[in-house]
Amino acid sequence: MRSTIGIHAQVDAQTLVEVIPPRAWLAIFVVAVGFILSYIVAVINRRILIRAGVPDTIEGTAFERTARNFGTSTVTIIAKLSGYFILLLSILVALTIAELEYADLFWSGVAVFLPQLFVAVVILLIGVVLADKAELIVAERLRGVKLPEIGLIPAVVKYSVLFVAVLIALGQVGVATLALIILLGAYAFALVVFTALATHDLLASGAAGVYLLLNQPYGIGDEVRVDGQRGIVQEVDLFVTRIETDEEEHIIPNRNVFKNGIVRIRNY
Amino acid sequence: MSSLSAVLSEFASDVDAVFLFSPSRGFYESFEEIENLVVVAPENAVDAPEFVELPLEFDNVRDRIRFGIEGAMGSEIVDEGDTAACIASVFDDDSDSLIRVRVEESMRSGIYDLFTNSRADPSVIRDVFEVAIELGKKGQKGKPVGALFVVGDAGKVMNKSRPLSYNPFEKSHVHVGDPIVNVMLKEFSRLDGAFVISDSGKLVSAYRYLEPGAEGVDIPKGLGTRHMAGGAITRDTNATAIVLSESDGLIRAFKGGKLILEIDPEEY
Repeated sequence: MRSTIGIHAQVDAQTLVEVIPPRAWLAIFVVAVGFILSYIVAVINRRILIRAGVPDTIEGTAFERTARNFGTSTVTIIAKLSGYFILLLSILVALTIAELEYADLFWSGVAVFLPQLFVAVVILLIGVVLADKAELIVAERLRGVKLPEIGLIPAVVKYSVLFVAVLIALGQVGVATLALIILLGAYAFALVVFTALATHDLLASGAAGVYLLLNQPYGIGDEVRVDGQRGIVQEVDLFVTRIETDEEEHIIPNRNVFKNGIVRIRNY
Repeated sequence: MSSLSAVLSEFASDVDAVFLFSPSRGFYESFEEIENLVVVAPENAVDAPEFVELPLEFDNVRDRIRFGIEGAMGSEIVDEGDTAACIASVFDDDSDSLIRVRVEESMRSGIYDLFTNSRADPSVIRDVFEVAIELGKKGQKGKPVGALFVVGDAGKVMNKSRPLSYNPFEKSHVHVGDPIVNVMLKEFSRLDGAFVISDSGKLVSAYRYLEPGAEGVDIPKGLGTRHMAGGAITRDTNATAIVLSESDGLIRAFKGGKLILEIDPEEY
């Protein structure tokens, strides 16, 4: 009794192998390999990201925290994404091999679009994390400044980075972004112009300061006269020179030092 | 056992302020209900509202407490006549001891002043201390070395001293705290004379022979010429002198012609 069932099963399996064309077997094999490969890629990617110190770098960003809330992490998401990408690719290859012709046109479109979409999603993810990180760093830097309006600057930095990331991602999937690029250009132009206007004096002082620091026409301890102020040089940095008399300390922008010249007083 | 806790509760009663020295987060949180809680630590890791920054982890508990109380007196958290309970660690990293202290004007030993109210930046003074400690520990080829750092008011110090040789720091821009300074340490100890360091930490000169008037300098007897020169220059200028003794290996800090702090580099 038992042997007849065994023989029946064997026959069934044989007919099954014969019924399904070899192409389909190949396709199934490709999907299986793709499955394994995607898992391996996900694991390796994850290891590489961790080894590269990514988790420490993005620690505390809003995106990472949100990811943590859902019981995952940015690294896991990116690693899994790369895994899914490989899996999808293998399915596409399998479908091509299996020659399911009715879907050919559709699938060829997807095959081109899919990698672009993947890259766009990765760029967007990186952009979000980078924006969060930039915001954190700027906020950290400005923490010493007790000014309520200062909170605006980190936000501006964050959205600027995010805007650029979205632009690149949209460009990647082929959405028309010309208007957005013009907007970005105008924004960057305004930023440069206003910064140059606002820091004009600082820049001039800085340029003079570079010369003063490199050539040291006068040094700490020299007695000098600048702008009619006579005193002992206490400190020369990039932007200002500090000159001290018995009661007063004059902080003179290096720009003035350069413009008006400096008198060194030799008392020997 | 009940008598011990009775004594202890007596000991801890009627305190006007509680000082926690480098508390762990959990330990700090158990005190959160208490008014006038002051945290004294190298950095404000527990986000305490009342915080005194400890520039060096003073091994001597008495110095640590003096520093903390002086800092709290400066920001008017405690006043003369108050009683403070200090919880610090004497043996291990955990808080293991309770010390009851009466806040008196004589507590103002100047240690807090030395770091925070000197002409030079507090971080510069701390960095010079660290350099001196490192030098005191290592010595040169195992032999003890001496060194004299004059920090702050560099212009005046330069005018009250003369060069013994060519200044190796001419036209260089080395600051204490730069990693390169630690590399240069061994070479440092070969140079005779004093190091002059500016308010912002720039190494202005080495090989300086200090020429202050030595009148009215009150330093303990038995200290050599290096200490005398260091002590005297701080009376004539607003500088702070940090001296590593060659004979006993201790580091002493002078300000206003007075010995303020004495530490043993081996304990850091």
